[in-house]
Amino acid sequence: MIIYLKLFLEFFHIGLFSFGGGYATLPFLYHIADVQKWYTTKQLSDMIAVSSITPGPVGVNVATFAGFSTAGIQGALIATTAVILPSLIIIIIISKLLEQFRHNKYVKSVIYTLKPAGCGLLAAVGVDMFINNINICGMILLVGLFIASITEKRDPLFYLGVSALVGLIAGFFNLTG
Amino acid sequence: MEKTLYQIFKTFFKVGTLLLGGGYVILPLLQSELVDKKNWISDDELCEYYALSQSIPGIIAANTAIFTGYRLRGTLGAISATLGIVTPAFISIILVARILEEIINLKFIQSIFWGVGVGVLILIFLAVKEMWRKSIVDKFTCVIFFMVFILSSCFKAPPATLIILSIFIGLWLPYQNKIEHGGKE
Repeated sequence: MIIYLKLFLEFFHIGLFSFGGGYATLPFLYHIADVQKWYTTKQLSDMIAVSSITPGPVGVNVATFAGFSTAGIQGALIATTAVILPSLIIIIIISKLLEQFRHNKYVKSVIYTLKPAGCGLLAAVGVDMFINNINICGMILLVGLFIASITEKRDPLFYLGVSALVGLIAGFFNLTG
Repeated sequence: MEKTLYQIFKTFFKVGTLLLGGGYVILPLLQSELVDKKNWISDDELCEYYALSQSIPGIIAANTAIFTGYRLRGTLGAISATLGIVTPAFISIILVARILEEIINLKFIQSIFWGVGVGVLILIFLAVKEMWRKSIVDKFTCVIFFMVFILSSCFKAPPATLIILSIFIGLWLPYQNKIEHGGKE
């Protein structure tokens, strides 16, 4: 029982404090891996990979997955509900007060400071993932994708598809380390 | 088309199913479903909900769905939209998670995951770039970015602590008349 309560609280706090979309939940999930030890960071990176290529918002997918691997179906249900609940509550309140919300100077000011903070958190996770997961072959793939990303705006699925394919080929030649 | 709770659920279920590779495609998907096909809300409204969704906590795609659901049928509409957008994610993960344990040790699956891991890094990079463009508007926001970045990556500060810290800085700012901010709307 206590695990369900802990799961609920952890994921509710993710839903409440993550700024900047689905991938912004990752810093929190890595933090959970460090503190709660419900899953390892290796398991988390597999979960992120799966979540990126299955239907649904990545943030919801990865929460469902983390909940499932911690406490089965009930865990998945609790984590998904908990991660979405703060949004639901906040939006219902904001929608009622939309006009005041939009022009309040404190709200404006908090949004102004929160956005760079969310960006900084995500950048830290990106650097961390880069240091822990990238070998020479990964670096070559990354540079290739980077060049592809600056030449033209592409669908996220393009990057995931190309990387999956390159991974498959690199695995065949034992280059994935 | 009638805006029944079931219709709202069904519409967002469809959108949730088509969301692949991150929530960033939610806006075009909702434009095609809600504005063009069903004529439930206007393009301007949708864009405003999308912008608002980015300035509050939570998953952007889900937030946009909740805003739209609320606009259509109030609180119950918001709940229907939430269930609609979450259910495909939930089902697909439960299905995949069950077979994942069986296949995770297959070499080609590991290779694919290795590749997708690199792809996710690029998506994170693009997300950071986009957030940077929207949020780093002056020296002060740049300082906040690096403060949070360093505290998080070098000192492993809990993310929630850093977010609360930024909220306090934001609340304290209006008292500091010297600092001009929030001008870009």
